[in-house]
Parts: sequence; structure tokens; C-alpha cells
Amino acid sequence: MTGNALLLGALATPLIGAILALLAARSNHRQRLIGVATGAIAWLFSAGLLAQVHEYGVQTYALGGWQPPYGIVLVADAFGALFAFMVTTIMVAGLLYTYHCNDKCMTYPAFLPLFLLMEVGLVGAMLTGDLFTLFVSMELMVLASVSLTAISDDQFGLEAALKYILISSMGTLFLLLGIAAMYATFGTLNMADIAQTLQSGERPFLAPAAALMLLCAFLLKSAVFPFHFWQPDFHTTAPTPLSAMLSSIVVKVGVYGIFRLVTLLFVGEEADSLERLLSVLGVIGIVFGSLGALRTYNAKRMLAYSTFAQIGFILVGIGWGGTVALVGALVYAFNHAFIKSALLMLMGVVASYTKIKTADFAYVHGLGKRLPPLLGWLVLLGGLSLAGVPPLNGFISKLALIRGGVDNGDWVNLIIVVAAGILTLMYMIRAWQQIFQQAPLPSTAETKPTGDSIIAPFLLITICLLLGTVFAEPLLQLAGETVRQMLDPQIYIAGVGLGNGG
Amino acid sequence: MTEFMFALAIGILFGIGVFQLLRRDLIKAAIGFAILFSAINLFFVAAGAFEGEAPPYLSNVLAGRATSDPLVQALILTAIVVSFGSFSLVLGIVNIISKRYDTVDSNDVTNLKH
Repeated sequence: MTGNALLLGALATPLIGAILALLAARSNHRQRLIGVATGAIAWLFSAGLLAQVHEYGVQTYALGGWQPPYGIVLVADAFGALFAFMVTTIMVAGLLYTYHCNDKCMTYPAFLPLFLLMEVGLVGAMLTGDLFTLFVSMELMVLASVSLTAISDDQFGLEAALKYILISSMGTLFLLLGIAAMYATFGTLNMADIAQTLQSGERPFLAPAAALMLLCAFLLKSAVFPFHFWQPDFHTTAPTPLSAMLSSIVVKVGVYGIFRLVTLLFVGEEADSLERLLSVLGVIGIVFGSLGALRTYNAKRMLAYSTFAQIGFILVGIGWGGTVALVGALVYAFNHAFIKSALLMLMGVVASYTKIKTADFAYVHGLGKRLPPLLGWLVLLGGLSLAGVPPLNGFISKLALIRGGVDNGDWVNLIIVVAAGILTLMYMIRAWQQIFQQAPLPSTAETKPTGDSIIAPFLLITICLLLGTVFAEPLLQLAGETVRQMLDPQIYIAGVGLGNGG
Repeated sequence: MTEFMFALAIGILFGIGVFQLLRRDLIKAAIGFAILFSAINLFFVAAGAFEGEAPPYLSNVLAGRATSDPLVQALILTAIVVSFGSFSLVLGIVNIISKRYDTVDSNDVTNLKH
């Protein structure tokens, strides 16, 4: 019995899609069709997986039939399945965007295969039950996104790619070092197995060092304070469909790792000190990210700084700890992916109407009068959602997070969180006004007649609206159930088949 | 003694790697990155190498000899592939940068600084 094949499907579909896209390298149009179809199939697999996990509990797939803890095992618990579902949903939108994207780099035969390989890395990182496979998936994701940014239309993409790969490789090296330290002390790399050893109260010599190295690698991947300086450059210069993925789901891999670290591997006293560290780093991220977003000169760069702040919100939520705050952090992470990818795509659409494809305020000032009117309303809705204004899903996530803060009675951080929401509103409204409300400057008068299609961001904003109204209650229930299962590591351990003493 | 020499070698390689990675010359930085990766691969091997001296063949296991851990060796095979992939990507990017900027000095590759 090897397990549930849906897990393998969610992981293998984008991989097969990448190979097919490579085989279809001669026809760019066919490649894009393969991309959209692959994304849709992977989404079906992960949706089925999410349903099955909530119906029957933790699903596993032992690769090659080698049973855990010796073999590599794919695991979907409630948390992993939820994040994998989020990733594949956003990827569908990203692939839809690539279908109508006019960027020059889109016509390179390597673009679609690399884009799909990034999805393999993302889904693999969320669904693996093995630390080494996590490392391989994260590295795959990094290499794919770096190559895609290096071929970006933006002339600075190459430099940002070099900057990121040197920093990120350093992070990956430390992740590998941490994994080696884990193996040296525990003799296993299966996360459930390690969690079981740690739960018995045993504290091997290298374990705290390994925990810290893993934490640093995850913080680097999600661009948290001391490791954030590459992020605005990298996210701004990436091609639009990629930058929407980077700022929404690629940073979530780090968040995923941190969640796993404090709820599965190092529960107990290590988790407390890690959480204290995380809330400090989160607050720094919120303040500097929001202020940085206020003073940028480029709409995409503003959103990249905003991601820096929003990850801070999630970390503060994790740092508060406890069921209510973790539900808040989880809902926040889920909703942020939809809002941020939609906004970045919208800014990409705006940029695609300029001559040199930039979202620099000096070039897009007043451009909105010449664009489809729907675009302005979508940007406004996305901005309001990011700031947490009621009918949209940003409100639900802010509400859940603030409930967690009240529950913990941490008033200082709570005030910062609420105040930063106002900053978010300020910079989003400022950007919207500059682009859509003011008269065009002479320098910005020239536009191209056509730009990228707004289908993908339109769908994402619709999902945001639905998540804020009709699906708000189910989402909160889902997150509550997920956190309940996350806070009991025994469910994960037993789900992998390593129950008591086994 | 072997263990000590092994640890020393890993330490020296790690030091060289970090030093080279922080150089201004991007090619030296890329090579430092490769050295650093070998240091970590060696660390990984060391995690399972000293439990026994015999190679982990089935015949040795059946004969009851203490074998070294085969799993780490399988793992670093993957790690070597990954490191080689990232190393060649770094070199590729440095190659294009050297053509576009006419330099490999990282102090001169600063167009992003506005």
C-alpha cells in the first residue's frame, strides 16, 4: 500500500506539463495552452486532496513503496493541503496571465517550462514529509525563479537575479547544513519521526543549532527583516506573471516552514523563544515595510515593500501563538496570496500599456484615463482589500489577526498592527490616485493601444470578494480546524504511520 | 584521528568558501560558492561515515561488520546535483553580466541603486 495517488498527481502534473511544454518549444501558443491546462489539472488534484484530507484525515504517499521513516514520503495534512491548494489556485491565475501576456520574455521557449518547474518546487515543498525533499523543492523553486528573472524584459532583472541567487544560495547552504545537523543528531530526516523524538523530551546536542539554521533559511525565503534587502529589487524586476507568484506564494514557502517549525518540530520551550524572536522581526517588518512602501517611486516596488510588511503581520500572528492568533496568521497568509497576486498583475497590466513596460510613477502618472475603466475599479478594490476594508477578504484576515492579539493581550504590537493598516490604506490610495485620478503629464501621454489581458486579476479580485463575503465563514472554519490539527503534532505523526513507539 | 582531520578539512573549506564568496570579483564569489557547497557535502558525509569502516554492501551487513551509513551518501548525490545546477546558473549569470557591464567587479554592477 503506497497511499493516496492524488498527492503524486498534484506534484507530477506540473512536472509532466513542464516536459510537454519543452517538447512543444516550437509553438509558443501551444506552450501557453499546455501551461493553462497543466495548472487547471494540478488545481483539480489539490482541491481533491484538500477535500479528502478533511474527509479522511492525513493522506500519505510513500514514494517507490518505501515506507516511512526509511523512505521518502509525501504527506498532506490539513495545513499542507490548504497551502498546496492556495499555491495551485494562484498558479492557475498566473498561467492564465501568461496566456495573454505580451512580454518579450514570454516568447522564449524556456519560459513556460521554468514557470511550471517553479510550481513543482512550490507544491513539493508544501506536500513533502521529508526535510531533504523540502530542500530540493526549495532549491528547484529558487533556480527556476532566478532564471526567469534573469531573462526579464526589465533591464535590471539580471542584476537582481545575481543578487538573489548569491543570497538565496547562502540560505540554501545553511538549510542544508541544518538538515545535516538534524541527520547527525536524529539519524532521520522524516519530519514526523524527528517530531516524535523531540516530543519525548530528548534534546540532542545539535538540535537547537539546527532549529536556528532552518529558521534562518525560512526567514530568508520569506524576506523577513535581516534578510529582506534583496526582495524589492527581485520582485520589481521579475516579469509580471512571475512577480505576482513571487510576492504571493513563493514567500509563503518560508511562512510554511516557520509554521512547521513552531507547531510540529520544536513545540515547547524552543517554540516560545522562536515565537518571541518572530514577533520582534515581524514588527520591524511591518513598520519598515509600510514606510518603505510609502516612499517608493514604482508601483510594483511599492507592492514588494508591502509584501515585506504583510509577512510581518503573519509573523506577529505566529509570534503571539495560541489557537486564535494562529488562525489569524493562517487566514492572513491565505488571503494575502490572493490580494497581492491580483494587485501585482493589475500593476503589470498598467505597466504593459507604457512604452517601456515600467510601473514607475513618473511613467504611469495619469495613465488611467486611457485604460479600460474596469482596471481602475479593480485596483481600488484590491487596495482596499489589502488595507482591510470590510466587504473584502483583507478585512476578514485583519479581524482574525486582531482577535488573536486581543486574546493574547499584547497591546503594543496590536496598536502597531492596526496603525500599519492605515499606512497600507495611505499608500494604496496614493498609488490609485496617481494612476487613475490625475490628468496625464506630457511625459506620460504616450500609451500603447493594447496591453495584457485583465482576465486573471479580475478572477482573483472576484475570489477576494467571495472570500470576504460568502466564503468568509467557511474559510474561518477551515482555518480553525486546520490549526486545531496543527497544534496536536500527534495527528501528523500518527498520520504518517509512526504512532506510539512505532 | 581521521575524524579530527575530517572536521579540520571541513572547517578550512568552509572558511575559504565564505571568504571567497565575500570577494568583490563575481567569478571568485561563484567559485567560493562551489567550495562552500563541497564543505557542506563533506559535513553531510561525516554525519554517517564513522559508525563503521566497511562499505555498506549487503554481504558486509550479513557478515555482521559495522558498515558506514549508506543514506547520507545517497543524499549527497542529490545535493551534488543541486549544487552543480546552482553553480552553473551563477556562472551563466556572471557570464552575461560580464558581457553587459564589461566588468565582473561587483562594485561596478550597481545599476539597481537609484
